[in-house]
Amino acid sequence: MIDNIPPGLIMILGALILPFLAQRTQAIAVLVLSLLSLFLFCLTGETSFGQMELFGATLEVVRIDATSRIFGIVFHIAAIVSAIYALHVRDTRQHVSGIVYAGAAIGACCAGDLLTLFVYWELTALSSVFLIWASDNERSYRAGMRYLIIQVTSGVLLLSGAILRFVETGSLEFTKMAVQGEPLSASAWLILFAFGIKCAFPLLHNWLQDSYPKATVTGSVFLSAFTTKLAVYSLIRGFAGFEPLIWVGCMMTLFPIVFAVIENDLRRVLAYSLNNQLGFMVVGIGIGSELAINGTIAHAFCHIIYKSLLFMSMGAVLYRVGTVKATELGGLHKSMPWTTTFCIIGAAAISGFPLLSGFISKSMIISAAAEEHQFITWFILLIASAGVMEHSGIKIPFFAFFAHDSGKRVKEAPTNMLVAMGIASFFCIGLGIAYPLLYRLLPNDVDYHPYTVTHVVTQLQLLLFAALAFVFLMKTGLYPSEQRATNLDTDWIYRRALPKAVVLCRAVIGTIDRFLRQGVMAMLRQITSCARTGFNEQGLLGRTWSTGTMTFWSTLLLAVCLVLYYLRS
Amino acid sequence: MNDSPPNSGEAVQTNGHDDPSWFEKPGNINKMIVSLVVVCVLLVLADFFYTNPHPHFPAWENVIGFQAWFGFIAFVVVVFLGRLLRIFVSRPEDYYDR
Repeated sequence: MIDNIPPGLIMILGALILPFLAQRTQAIAVLVLSLLSLFLFCLTGETSFGQMELFGATLEVVRIDATSRIFGIVFHIAAIVSAIYALHVRDTRQHVSGIVYAGAAIGACCAGDLLTLFVYWELTALSSVFLIWASDNERSYRAGMRYLIIQVTSGVLLLSGAILRFVETGSLEFTKMAVQGEPLSASAWLILFAFGIKCAFPLLHNWLQDSYPKATVTGSVFLSAFTTKLAVYSLIRGFAGFEPLIWVGCMMTLFPIVFAVIENDLRRVLAYSLNNQLGFMVVGIGIGSELAINGTIAHAFCHIIYKSLLFMSMGAVLYRVGTVKATELGGLHKSMPWTTTFCIIGAAAISGFPLLSGFISKSMIISAAAEEHQFITWFILLIASAGVMEHSGIKIPFFAFFAHDSGKRVKEAPTNMLVAMGIASFFCIGLGIAYPLLYRLLPNDVDYHPYTVTHVVTQLQLLLFAALAFVFLMKTGLYPSEQRATNLDTDWIYRRALPKAVVLCRAVIGTIDRFLRQGVMAMLRQITSCARTGFNEQGLLGRTWSTGTMTFWSTLLLAVCLVLYYLRS
Repeated sequence: MNDSPPNSGEAVQTNGHDDPSWFEKPGNINKMIVSLVVVCVLLVLADFFYTNPHPHFPAWENVIGFQAWFGFIAFVVVVFLGRLLRIFVSRPEDYYDR
């Protein structure tokens, strides 16, 4: 019985009682529910249950295999760490939406059919938007609306794809949809597009950079963990080995690093960095070999933890200082030494320093590309690795905690935040050292050793020479100074270009419309005036004629008829 | 881009010259830079003492210090692309609020 509860359901149902608890206990309840859910999840083995019939389709609410399991575990860890980080928050909205969101993501990664996936998919969208709205300002409200529209669109595409797939194949089972050497079916394209939006594919990405930096301090930590990694999980399940994804992923690793260089809002830098990390995973999915899939899953696992650690450290800065703009920060290591330390651990982990988690996961994807002899992919991933060092490894900690002293003196982050960051840091280091524990959970049986002399030396060369390049650029003054600015991205299209186009279209249509109306009105006026002159008492048709005239015309008509008749015969 | 209100309002503004920490003393900064350079040199020298057992792209990977100069150049290129990008996409901070 106890292992027949769908994973995540306890968290979703538990959220319903949260509003009835006292404000103080809500945060603790979130933590307890997450821990309880993790406990139950660990008891549940690889299994599937919850089969039911709906409109002739077979649904399978829960199907847990090795891939679902590892994502479920890391989602639980993220939920627990985020819950600890949010222990000081007294806001019912955030607690309820946070736990529903986490529960829905966990449920989604254990869904066996597309319809169940759709339900959880939309639930993650609907619950998470409150984490953005909870910032309670006009900007976050608008960003939340844009986020919601885009996320719901993704869900609608998924539902359309699922229905079409049911028509095509007669089954709703969530299986691999990309078959080697065959073109994708229409339904698979729709579903890929739905996944692509949530996974922030290039040109579909900007909801991420638009919304995450506007969420609350604790909300962005929740957000950074679930939505995009749920999409990564879905891509692994449905599109592993679909080759175009390699190029999509390569694009994703490259363009965000350039945007991150000039971005001033450090949480937005982290959003670009998140996008870049997703790129590594999408490349792994596109390669699709056993090593690549293992690498992708391991990378998602490590990434969720170090990315939430980075969002937590910037959240702590935002909480204490009130801003995370690089131009206004600096020198905070003096007043927030613990936060600084944790942030540096996260930054080193994401950059892939040996003995930290990023090293043992990212290297699997890069090695997979090399083993498939994909030179260009390998080359691009190396550039991207140097780019990660730039924006996350150096820029985030340097401009927040060191650089020029902003003169701001604040208190160290609250204890619960430090504990959460400490746990995440522990995982970053632990996974880097005790990596076999993680590798054992991976679905494919692959013999991979990250700590070879070649690998350690080359990786250190790449990272430390990148650091040297930073020193060089700073000393020569070539490093772009931080500027207060808004950098346009694709959201410009729907925030500026489209509204302007609509205004322009309205003006053009209005002019044409006015022109046509005036023309028609003028014509009508002419006709009526014609009629009026013709039919009035003096008009040709309206005046009274004498009997003689009428007789004359009648006679004439008769004569004409006669003549015609005569001519005809 | 962020307007979240300061949640604690405890930030105290000082002139920033009260107590230079270890990381702010020019001597220590130089020490850090020098040690970084030394480590970098050692890392390149390390390439002479081992061979890569399975190079996938020997033409690149067997060059001494390949990832060293690659990392340096990639970093510089990314930063300069960023400077270039700024010309095209940078707008005043309140661009979307107007």
